[in-house]
Amino acid sequence: MTLSTARPGTFLVVDDSALHHQMYRLIFSKGSLAGSTLYHAMNGREGYALLAAHPELTVVLLDLNMPEMNGLEFLARRQAEKLHPHIPIVLVTTESTPDDEARGRTAGAWDYLRKPFQPADVARLVERLQAERAPAA
Amino acid sequence: MGRSAKTPATPAPALRGVLEFADQLAADAAAAQVPLPPAQLHLITFRLDGEEFGLPVETVREVIRVGDITRVPQSPAHIRGVINLRGRILPVVEIRTRLGLAPLVPRSTARIIVAEVRGRVLGLLVDSVAQVQKVPADRVVAAPDEVKSAHTDYITGVVQLYERLLILLDLARALDASGATHP
Amino acid sequence: MDNDHAFAELIQEYIAESLPLAEAVSDAFLALERRWQEGDAAAGEVVELKGTLHTLKGNSAMMGLRPMQVVAHALEDLAARVAADERARTEAESALLVEGAGLLIDLIGAAADAQSGSGEAEEFVARVRRRLEADAAPAVPLRLERRRAERRPDGAPDAGTVRVDFRRLDTLLEIFGEAMIEQSALTEVYRRLAARIGSSAEVTDLDRVVVSLRATMKRLESALMQTRLLPISTVFNRFPRAVRDLARDEQKQVRLVIEGGDTLLDKTILDRLGEPLVHLVSNAVVHGVESEAERLRAGKPAEAVLSLRATALADRVVISVSDDGRGLETERILAKARALGLEPASPTPADVHGLIFVPGFSTAEQVSHVAGRGVGLDAAAAAIHDLGGGIEVASEAGRGTRFTLSVPLTLAIVRSLIVEVDRERYAVPLSHVAETVRVEPGALHEINRQGVVMWRGSAIHVADGGRLLGTGTTRTAPRNYFVVLFAGPRHRGLLVDRLVGHQDVVVKGLDPTLGRPDVVSGATILGDGRVACILDAAGIVAQREAA
Repeated sequence: MTLSTARPGTFLVVDDSALHHQMYRLIFSKGSLAGSTLYHAMNGREGYALLAAHPELTVVLLDLNMPEMNGLEFLARRQAEKLHPHIPIVLVTTESTPDDEARGRTAGAWDYLRKPFQPADVARLVERLQAERAPAA
Repeated sequence: MGRSAKTPATPAPALRGVLEFADQLAADAAAAQVPLPPAQLHLITFRLDGEEFGLPVETVREVIRVGDITRVPQSPAHIRGVINLRGRILPVVEIRTRLGLAPLVPRSTARIIVAEVRGRVLGLLVDSVAQVQKVPADRVVAAPDEVKSAHTDYITGVVQLYERLLILLDLARALDASGATHP
Repeated sequence: MDNDHAFAELIQEYIAESLPLAEAVSDAFLALERRWQEGDAAAGEVVELKGTLHTLKGNSAMMGLRPMQVVAHALEDLAARVAADERARTEAESALLVEGAGLLIDLIGAAADAQSGSGEAEEFVARVRRRLEADAAPAVPLRLERRRAERRPDGAPDAGTVRVDFRRLDTLLEIFGEAMIEQSALTEVYRRLAARIGSSAEVTDLDRVVVSLRATMKRLESALMQTRLLPISTVFNRFPRAVRDLARDEQKQVRLVIEGGDTLLDKTILDRLGEPLVHLVSNAVVHGVESEAERLRAGKPAEAVLSLRATALADRVVISVSDDGRGLETERILAKARALGLEPASPTPADVHGLIFVPGFSTAEQVSHVAGRGVGLDAAAAAIHDLGGGIEVASEAGRGTRFTLSVPLTLAIVRSLIVEVDRERYAVPLSHVAETVRVEPGALHEINRQGVVMWRGSAIHVADGGRLLGTGTTRTAPRNYFVVLFAGPRHRGLLVDRLVGHQDVVVKGLDPTLGRPDVVSGATILGDGRVACILDAAGIVAQREAA
């Protein structure tokens, strides 16, 4: 088993499914991510408010399909208002074509996380992100 | 196969053989090596043509007076008819004819015992209902030959109570033949 | 799912979140199906459900629950096709959507159990795939016609619906039945009181209350019966696909026309109407309709028309199943009947055609896998008679055949004639009473040890009520009335002592302990609290009277 070098951090999860929030809680309470701080939002608007309130976030995990404000709309608003551009946002989705992905990245998504994912996938994502930003500590 | 009783005072399971229950109790007692006080059977006793019968109390829902019994054409021989029990239409079985006796001539002591057999609720027409009797399970013995031949295979045993002989009825088997067949 | 799956411990949360979503999807698809039957081909719900189906798919995928995931995915694809293509909005698609939603509910509900349902899920997905491929293909020759339903009679906007276990409606009806009995008792006491007291202010007031109560009870009965009504389309809607498939198997072209789908019937009747109708429809496609070649030779259009029509009358619903096929061949039926030792009541086409309902009768050369299950028509006829209804057939060789079914609106409450025979009271459903006649001296005759009476110009058999019902009578003098009962085309008189009156009775089935008498179909409780048996007209008409 490869040891993950991911370190605990502060995370915002934006998803309209209570089940997914439970899943994230599980993921961020185990292994190398244990001890992380987790914020929850049930829709895009709530999520946006929490993003604004927490400049210390390591990454935002943003579901694509949500009522009221979906993932792409969230990204568009963030880009327009230039809110905390240093915080990476990952779009979480069931499927996406290369076109979708391009569109997401143009809107400001740092990466995509495809469902179904396992805890290890999230850990790897955080690991990669933290490695990229290592110089900034 | 009888279920084992959880506590000594649990009455016999409604449809199991009484003798088997008594055997099981004895076996349980032997296994537990604890002297149990003799189990009690709670019975409702009723008379048919001078003979006295007993039914486990748990099979009996209530006892009512005999009102109008509506005859149902082309119903099986031992069904006397149906009655209205608080809005529910209940079949009434003429236990007498089922046991080979003449049909009941109505009199004021006659009663209908509302009993539950195999999940079905039925009325049993009897000459009279005596009382609830508690009988020690170990007093149940096999029926003597002359009783057995008279009542063939729907009794599970007899109890000698002082000078009376109480015949324990296996209701399910007694009613078996009065199922859904035309006369 | 595997126990060591990362999110295994969240299975209850999965169920808690996904089950209501799946149920919402199911409700929406059911509403969609109903609307499509009524001719409204919009598919708005489908668009709204996209997100829900997507969530269900995602949740199931995250939990490693593949059956739910693939079913949700299949529903997503089918829903997308239905939303995009109007031609894909037929009964076939709506049935699949409804079925899939139901399957999803079942799978999710059982998610906590060991992995199961993958077979069913895969099978369903395969069928959806085939359907989508078929939809992509050019149009098929079979066309479906549907009449638009009328607007709701009172034009009221839809206030929403609740789901109620049907047994609760039965309970409501039972309690209502008791209230009816108490109302009768109250009326009776009021009459006796009024007779004794004569006129007084209190009696007048009481009279007003009794009358008002009766009116209210009538309205309550009507409202209660309404809750149990469902449109006959719930039965009819399975036929378009069945006819299409059957016609395809038989290599015939059949156009199905459905009318009156919005006719309402009590659920108790509807539940039992399906099978007889399936027999009749299958029979029509398999035996009634000729091959394309035969039809063209006969100068008929290659495409046969099969129509299912329902009409509501005051106390019955009439359903007809008719085809423009080859019709019944009187000679063949007669020959077959004679070979079986049967004779029609008369040589008229009606009576000869009626022989096809006799058990064991079938003039088909081949026994097809559907219509020839061996017992098609007579089982269908028996089922209809059991419902208290009737079935007739009218046919013209070369032109077609029409089966006409008549069923009561409900089995739950039956308007009955109460009669008395040897001090026993019986309820006779008025739907099967043609007339009640006072016995005139010399009216009764005996032919071949059977009682006979002239009624409306024909001789009909008449049976003594006491003997038929086994009252134990030794009476030989004629009784006062005879009631003419009918079942289908056959009539029989029943001699009784008194006609007590008319009454709406709540029908209670016979306890199985009572066996299955031919002459009694149920029981009810009369106003005086006594039980009365409800007579089975069909059974009585068929009885051979004991010598």
